[in-house]
Amino acid sequence: MAAISLRGLTKVYATGVRALDGLDLEVFDGEFVVLVGPSGCGKTTALRMVAGLERITSGTVSFGDRVVNEVSPRHRDVAMVFQNYALYPHLSVYQNIGFALENKKVEKAERDQRIRIAAATLGLGDLLGRKPAQLSGGQRQRVAMGRAIVRSPAVFLMDEPLSNLDAKLRVQMRSEVLRVHKSIGAATLYVTHDQIEAMTMGDRVAVLQGGVLQQYDTPRALYDRPANVFVATFIGSPAMNLYEAGLSTDGTAPTVALGSQRLPLPPQVAARVAAYQGRKVIVGVRPEDLAVPVSGVSGGSGVPGGSGAVSGSGAVSASGVSGASGVSQAGASGGAQAGASGTPGLVADVRLVEVLGSEQHVYFWLDATPAASAPGAAAAAGESAQEGILAGSAPNGVARLDPGSGVRPGRRVTFAVNPARLYFFDPDTGRAISG
Amino acid sequence: MTASTLVPPDAAPDSAGARPAESRRQRRKREQLEERDAAIPVELYGLKRGTVTVLTTCCVLFAIFTLVPIAWIIFNSTKTQANIFGTFGFWFARPFEFFHNFRMLFENVDDDGTYINWFGNTALYAVLGGVGATALSAFAGYGFARFEFRGSKVLFYIIIGSLLVPIGAITLPLYLVYSKAHLINSIWGMILPSLVAPVGVYLMRTYIRLSVPRELVDAARIDGASEIRIFFRVALPLMVPGLMTVLLLSVVGVWNNYFLPLIIFSNNNLFPLTVGMGLWSQHATTSGDQNLYPLIVMGGLVTIAPLIILFLILQRYWRGGLLLGSIAN
Amino acid sequence: MSAPAPTRPARDESRSRPRHSAWVRRRDRAGLAFVSPFLVAFGLFMIVPLGYAIYDSLFTSRIIGGTVFSGLSNYTQILTSGMFWSGVIRVVIFGAIQIPVMLIIAFFFATAFDLGVAKFGRAFRTIFFIPFAVPVVVSALMWGFLFEPSYGPFVHLASVFGFHNVDFLSNTLMLPSIIVIVIWEWTGYNMMILYTALKSVPREVVEAAILDDTPLWKIIVKVKLPLVRPAIVLLIFLNTIGALQLFVEPLILNNYSAGVITLNWTPVLYIYNTSINDAQYNLGAAMAVVLGLVIVAISFTSLLFRRSKGEFS
Repeated sequence: MAAISLRGLTKVYATGVRALDGLDLEVFDGEFVVLVGPSGCGKTTALRMVAGLERITSGTVSFGDRVVNEVSPRHRDVAMVFQNYALYPHLSVYQNIGFALENKKVEKAERDQRIRIAAATLGLGDLLGRKPAQLSGGQRQRVAMGRAIVRSPAVFLMDEPLSNLDAKLRVQMRSEVLRVHKSIGAATLYVTHDQIEAMTMGDRVAVLQGGVLQQYDTPRALYDRPANVFVATFIGSPAMNLYEAGLSTDGTAPTVALGSQRLPLPPQVAARVAAYQGRKVIVGVRPEDLAVPVSGVSGGSGVPGGSGAVSGSGAVSASGVSGASGVSQAGASGGAQAGASGTPGLVADVRLVEVLGSEQHVYFWLDATPAASAPGAAAAAGESAQEGILAGSAPNGVARLDPGSGVRPGRRVTFAVNPARLYFFDPDTGRAISG
Repeated sequence: MTASTLVPPDAAPDSAGARPAESRRQRRKREQLEERDAAIPVELYGLKRGTVTVLTTCCVLFAIFTLVPIAWIIFNSTKTQANIFGTFGFWFARPFEFFHNFRMLFENVDDDGTYINWFGNTALYAVLGGVGATALSAFAGYGFARFEFRGSKVLFYIIIGSLLVPIGAITLPLYLVYSKAHLINSIWGMILPSLVAPVGVYLMRTYIRLSVPRELVDAARIDGASEIRIFFRVALPLMVPGLMTVLLLSVVGVWNNYFLPLIIFSNNNLFPLTVGMGLWSQHATTSGDQNLYPLIVMGGLVTIAPLIILFLILQRYWRGGLLLGSIAN
Repeated sequence: MSAPAPTRPARDESRSRPRHSAWVRRRDRAGLAFVSPFLVAFGLFMIVPLGYAIYDSLFTSRIIGGTVFSGLSNYTQILTSGMFWSGVIRVVIFGAIQIPVMLIIAFFFATAFDLGVAKFGRAFRTIFFIPFAVPVVVSALMWGFLFEPSYGPFVHLASVFGFHNVDFLSNTLMLPSIIVIVIWEWTGYNMMILYTALKSVPREVVEAAILDDTPLWKIIVKVKLPLVRPAIVLLIFLNTIGALQLFVEPLILNNYSAGVITLNWTPVLYIYNTSINDAQYNLGAAMAVVLGLVIVAISFTSLLFRRSKGEFS
């Protein structure tokens, strides 16, 4: 029996705005489920309906086997941490935490004990006498959590609790939140717009967009098997590169054609996309799945033979693809082969390299048409590259490389691509092609 | 922090302002619905049955209480003197003298003054005084809000502190000062003091602090604009709702002012409505056989009508301004 | 885990010290320029008369001998004057009754509208606010008619309820009647201020209280009320100042019921009569000063009282 069940949950405001459309979701006891999506996707609306703070237009919310649509939020045994903490400004930390217990007429001694335990769990012991105005953002956030956990609720709701904290604190608090969750053991629904929070914290993650659930799965599954273009570009940073491509055969070998380049597809991949043979598709490749081969010597071919080691380090020739232009010769040889190991390569012109220390973000251009990605998700990632003050055509892709890859702007590079790690989507619906 | 964070999102977040052109009525309807969406649903408060009815009844009772004098004045402005005293207060009676009474307002009643004169005076004082007070308050409020000069804090507290001073301590000596400056029975004697509105300065300062971002002013300064230019081009458009509130308060304040004109005017032709009506009221009782009562009632009606209309017009600005004035304490 | 230093929630407006560069000084002067038109008017029409009043209060005019400096003799006269202080006591009683009653009514309706628990809130709010548009003189006139002992409708109404020959404007009932009138005049205004203050309470705090299963009365008293305390304090302040200067209503009602309102019924009446009718400006000025001090004293003690008590009534 799921601790929280949402069936067909829909919210239409009086103004006609359809904030949430038919959400189906289940949270098991003790599970930590994250609702993630860009602003306006309906995640907060869903959370508030679970809390009982928003009227439900249609659909049901159930706790266990009890439908709670008509149950007042007072009696749902739900605790919530608000984005702006919503602490009682005129009460001390002690009183804030204990407010609900006072309402329930809990005995003073027991109340005191429970407050102190909750405070200790969150490291608030010294702050009990202070008022919210005297606390930092992080401290207030913990008081908000303390207020929620002291009630030992059956359901724990959190509405972007970390959004108002600075970046460093946010990372710190992620583990805090999880630790608190473990100690309570209640089913938790956590709303955020930050996909990193979603991926690192959730047992399962529900991705929403435009009021509609896109996919509900474990983080791993969302990453490996995104259900559609939106999820594919929303999860993972920098966002997945998407291109219009066509499936065809090169003789008998099935290939995917990106612009003027061709990548052969191994049999299992080809089987998956067999239905789209001869048609247009959208192809996705994650920045982290692009690698630059190691090569000791720069040379005409610039391609390491047989080594198979494909991460760049040391001085690597970024250029040196056979053929004067980066465009591979049409014909039997297809695209440049990166090595005897047979890892296919994608040729691209490097436009911009962002050095992050632990990795590099390499913005490149290749002659394929980028696919229109879902609004919101990839736009942010692509923006800085897209609107660059760079000469020539703006970059249309990004790769994550090791710091020593030696890639330079203005050079041509061949990325090694593992075709098994390509993602395919229907160009009309955006849905993943799963065969 | 307020309801704005929870206003339902636009249907298409990335379509820049692609809202279909809507009429005024549609927009008001939508705002009404948004207001309702933004408020906490009533059922969450856990009210007992019938609470809403009880409360609505209380509202109705108080509304009746509020409207009783107004209703009375409307009904009795149509009556003769005899009927005012004789007939039921809350309904009409024959003869229907509304227009007759109204016409009488234009005549000089037994040398006690002409209502219509007073009306014109009041309008003049209120408009000039009110607009002037608003302007001065806006300038001063801006000066206090966006500048830091030496003594600005002290000055501001003094200005606010002046609210504590009884009117008698200011107005009566003012009369003496006027008699020396030949300002007795001068319209400027009425208008000029009305320009001083400490409440207006307070409200404008608060409002400007909240609605004219410091960064905007600084950016304009860096762009080389003169301070005057910044005031009129940058700050003023943002101040409008606050200005409306202060304007309303100032105009109402001058319109309703009784003590100042009472003291400084002895010339009947310069009286505003308040003083004139007070005079009539006095004469009506002391020399009982003047047909003043219907005029007093009609006069009262005509006095309050313009303000009520002004209210309804400026209503939408009124709410916003008051809100900010009260929080920032 | 060490707690980071507490941060200020909002930008502190007046804290930055201006560096005394020429640019900054010129800018500050501009600020002064903006404030100066008001200051000039303020000085001329508030400070000067006030100073003149204080100055004048130190003199006495005699029929023989003209106006002479008399130091504080006017003040001693006032401080020992039973007439003056009986008026003061009267307005203090008046305020002590009128202000709490009015604020309770105003808060009651403001809360009802804020919570949305009464229908047609907008219409009612507009209606309640109408008295603010009515000049005090006209309001006193209207109520005078209504209360009038011989033909006023309220006398009629009272007899329907079994109270016969009620004279609302008699010695005993005059003050309560005026209380009713003033409540009529000012409740709408107070209610609007409280309403907008209540509206500014963050919605999420109330939602948190709901999730904590807080009963409605507790939400109102323990959550909303403390957060609108600044507005309440402001209103008490303004209302007190107004109540202590009661003038127009008694003056007008006197026309309907001669003799009840004495010359010294309220302090401002006394000042007015002394200064204008008796032409004793000096004494009147001194009275005004004393009244001003009384107002300051009462305003501040009422503020302090509220603050220490923590909550309103």
